[in-house]
Amino acid sequence: MTRDELERALAELPFRLLRRLARTIAGPPAMRMGKRRIIHTIMAAAETNQARIEAAIRTHQAEQHAIAAVPSTPAEAAADPKAGKPADLGSFLEGIGVPEPRPFVPDDWQVEAVDALERGDVIVSVPTGSGKTYVAVEATRRAMREERTIVYTSPLKALSNTKFTEFSKVFGPESVGIITGDRRDNPNAPILIMTTEILRNLLYDAAGGEIDVRLDTLGLVILDESQFLGDPERGVVWEETIIFCPSQARMLLLSASIGNPQELAAWLTSIRPNPCHLIRHQRRSVPLRAGYLHPNGKLTPLFRTVAMPPSPSQAILHPEAKRLFTMYEEDASYGSRRSG
Amino acid sequence: MPPSIHPVHLITVLRQKSLTPVIVFLTSRRSCDEAFQAFESTTETLPQARQDVITNVLAELTAAYPSIQDHPLRQMVTVHGVAAHHAGHLPSWKIAIEELMRRGCLDAVFATTTLAAGVDFPARTVVLTQSGVRRDQDFSDLTVAEVSQISGRAGRRSKDSVGFALVTPSPYMDLGVLTRGLTGRPEPVDSQFIISYPMVLNLLKAHPVDHIQSILAKSFAQYQMNAQAATLEHRIDKLQAKLESYQPRECSDWLTQWSAYDHATRQATQKLQARRHHPPEVRARLPFLTPGRVVAFSRFRGVVLRRYRSKGQHHEMVTVLRNGGTVAECPVADITGVVDHAFDFAPAPAFPWAAPEALSWLEQQLGELPKQLPAIALPPPATDDGTGELVKSLGDLFPCPTCPCRPTCAKEFKAGNTVKQEWLHHTRTVQSLRTGLWHKFQERADTLHDLGYLDPTYKLTDDGEWARLIRIDFSLLITEMIRAHAFDAITPGALAGIMACISYENDRPGSFPRISPAMAGLIATTRRMATSLAPHDDPPLLRADVGGLAERWVGDTTVTWPQLCRSTSMAEGDIYRLLSRTLEYLSQVHQLRATHPDLASIAAEALSRIRRGVLEELP
Ligand SMILES: Nc1ncnc2c1ncn2[C@@H]1O[C@H](COP(=O)(O)OP(=O)(O)OP(=O)(O)O)[C@@H](O)[C@H]1O
Ligand SMILES: [Mg+2]
Repeated sequence: MTRDELERALAELPFRLLRRLARTIAGPPAMRMGKRRIIHTIMAAAETNQARIEAAIRTHQAEQHAIAAVPSTPAEAAADPKAGKPADLGSFLEGIGVPEPRPFVPDDWQVEAVDALERGDVIVSVPTGSGKTYVAVEATRRAMREERTIVYTSPLKALSNTKFTEFSKVFGPESVGIITGDRRDNPNAPILIMTTEILRNLLYDAAGGEIDVRLDTLGLVILDESQFLGDPERGVVWEETIIFCPSQARMLLLSASIGNPQELAAWLTSIRPNPCHLIRHQRRSVPLRAGYLHPNGKLTPLFRTVAMPPSPSQAILHPEAKRLFTMYEEDASYGSRRSG
Repeated sequence: MPPSIHPVHLITVLRQKSLTPVIVFLTSRRSCDEAFQAFESTTETLPQARQDVITNVLAELTAAYPSIQDHPLRQMVTVHGVAAHHAGHLPSWKIAIEELMRRGCLDAVFATTTLAAGVDFPARTVVLTQSGVRRDQDFSDLTVAEVSQISGRAGRRSKDSVGFALVTPSPYMDLGVLTRGLTGRPEPVDSQFIISYPMVLNLLKAHPVDHIQSILAKSFAQYQMNAQAATLEHRIDKLQAKLESYQPRECSDWLTQWSAYDHATRQATQKLQARRHHPPEVRARLPFLTPGRVVAFSRFRGVVLRRYRSKGQHHEMVTVLRNGGTVAECPVADITGVVDHAFDFAPAPAFPWAAPEALSWLEQQLGELPKQLPAIALPPPATDDGTGELVKSLGDLFPCPTCPCRPTCAKEFKAGNTVKQEWLHHTRTVQSLRTGLWHKFQERADTLHDLGYLDPTYKLTDDGEWARLIRIDFSLLITEMIRAHAFDAITPGALAGIMACISYENDRPGSFPRISPAMAGLIATTRRMATSLAPHDDPPLLRADVGGLAERWVGDTTVTWPQLCRSTSMAEGDIYRLLSRTLEYLSQVHQLRATHPDLASIAAEALSRIRRGVLEELP
């Protein structure tokens, strides 16, 4: 390729690839540049890196080719989001505000989750802010009625503290204890709050013969933020906790949505005495809209539709958002001047 | 630089459009602080009534968290209704900001994407200014799960009818990543099961060794590996069916037989290869190319100085002296004619392959040769390409050369062998998927046996009995240090210091100028021990500065929190986290009351000294 051809081909590449390319050739400072300057940087080093640059361009072109070659399914074609006018700002901002106060009514899935715990373990995988705490609290209430011990664990001390306050408010401070490495506040309370590591250690001790009486009456183990099972460093602790959890206790795994909750449920079912019930949905309790805010303060919808597109393949950028973003990318100095 | 929209401008726009309260997610702690500080110079302040509410909430919280009382940022938060929230702050301060946000007192919070999952911290709007996040010295794209964690904070139940996720461009922005994050499905959670030394000790304490395999089989790791293995087994079945068509013939396992024969053939052929490489007329020339022979090329004539084979390619080459005096390396294939004339000269063992005087003599002779010289008539090339010879030589070893199946085998071997190799590969993979965990466990157990924590029957030794109570990272290092008496007669300060060193894995810079000589010696000992254990366990970072910091806090109880913070460039939140991790480690050492009473009581003393000031505010 000649220099001109190279430069033109680079301009076609998405920003992300350009940045990656610049980083491999010219190092990290490229991170802070706009599209034009990045291309400039790459071109400056083009002589010695020609092969590498061309390879990147070819790979991208091949990918584009492959994407273009996939025929769109009839279903998608029918729901073509390009049909109709793109959303306007008015309808985008419509309905901001505080909803009419309504008496608290638990959602169906919340009730279902609490009920399912009567029959076996439960995994709840629903979006952030849906109300998983309600399930934890109600399940705790039932277990307390049966005079069982309840252990609530979270990955973070900060979260444990919040829950300690929350549970104390609901059940009274005398019913809630908290255990950390060096402290045991109210350890004989029916509800015990701790990090998952502490519970794992208690389970180790119990298995080793130093029975902590409390584990005999253990009726419910709540693992909040259980997507931590996939954490590279700490995930193993969640697995151990689940493997060693006494069979008479029910497990309640709460998590923000994860990709494979059914796989987790199948696993639990395969190793625990009772089948594991999966409660899962992706509906947000408060609808979400996505917008694009330009550095000059101009706001437009991010997508053509006001509602969130149901999948990435149907996410078509709003023409105005696209125009403004391209403008920004092509002149990164604009942003830095403003914030200067 | 980020956010590329000026923070004050951003909040003004969002206030006008009733899009507050808002959480603005930024790349770094510093950008959060800078965005927050930018409000210092604005004249726009909250109405007095709202300021009073904030003052009251903070006063309320001060009862439980005294450190809020004199927090330097308190005034600005109250006046402007904005705050920064990141890991550089004390937990108590973060709790205060969270509480203010929950009660709707603040208009904006600038936070990093690490804002912990599950902390109830919602707003009407979230602003995304980046599509990547710093991870291990590098930038990587936000995952779908992370973006949904962020956008999930927009829209408070029963306080908002709708929530907004706004994207504002910055140099760190890739719209594609955010689009995918906002509309895609979160990633699956995969097992990260690792077999650690404490796990081995604790499992062997509770279960006989022949139960271990069935316990490991209960892990999610094994569950997922079984699923993989099942998929592969399905493939294996199919391959097996395919292999049926490569049924036994004259010999029962002809694929292996042929493969061995093929291998032998190849090896033997390699020797012939050079000759086979060239067309017959070139090969016919080879015997004549002795040193001194005159040869013709298309544009010049030369004298052969030596013949050799190029490395790797096995091309026959000659070094020739050209008329004009230059020495050149030429492929034999380039020779156009062999002249019926040769000179006698003394060859040399190295470049230029002839003695200097011989070289100039040859050059002169070459120049004096007449233009026309008779060429040698070459004999017709032999028709045998060497295979016959080969077959004869291998015939004693293998039946193949004379087997009636030979043509069929030769034809089908390639396809059959591909299937068989794939089958073998999958079979091996399945085996390692099924037994990998158990092998890893045995490996760990063997190390523990070598070090004396397990007896030959994998039962815990006396040392194993107490060592299993240390259930933290680098447990092996700590127990080995205890066994080496490195902590005997240690001060509580030094014990805290060394635990801090071992526990702190963050390489965010932060310096503390002074560390005691005793501490320095202890760190050196620990480093030596860690190095000797390196084959079994990765060594810790062992930052001396954090050790010094913890030593000071525990060693001198008159030191106040502000004094400690001033002595280092580390952020308050990082110091807190350091001491809090140290606390975890010390409490594990404290568990050794029964076997190491002295050490345990030093640990207890260190624990009680750590727990003062802000470190007493939270359990
Ligand atoms: N059925 C309901 N109706 C109205 N509001 C509810 C309902 N259930 C829960 N909420 C409210 O929703 C908010 C969020 O709940 P919660 O903290 O339990 O979410 P979460 O699912 O645990 O989120 P995260 O993933 O962040 O942990 C709380 O303020 C709670 O009072
Ligand atoms: Mg929660």
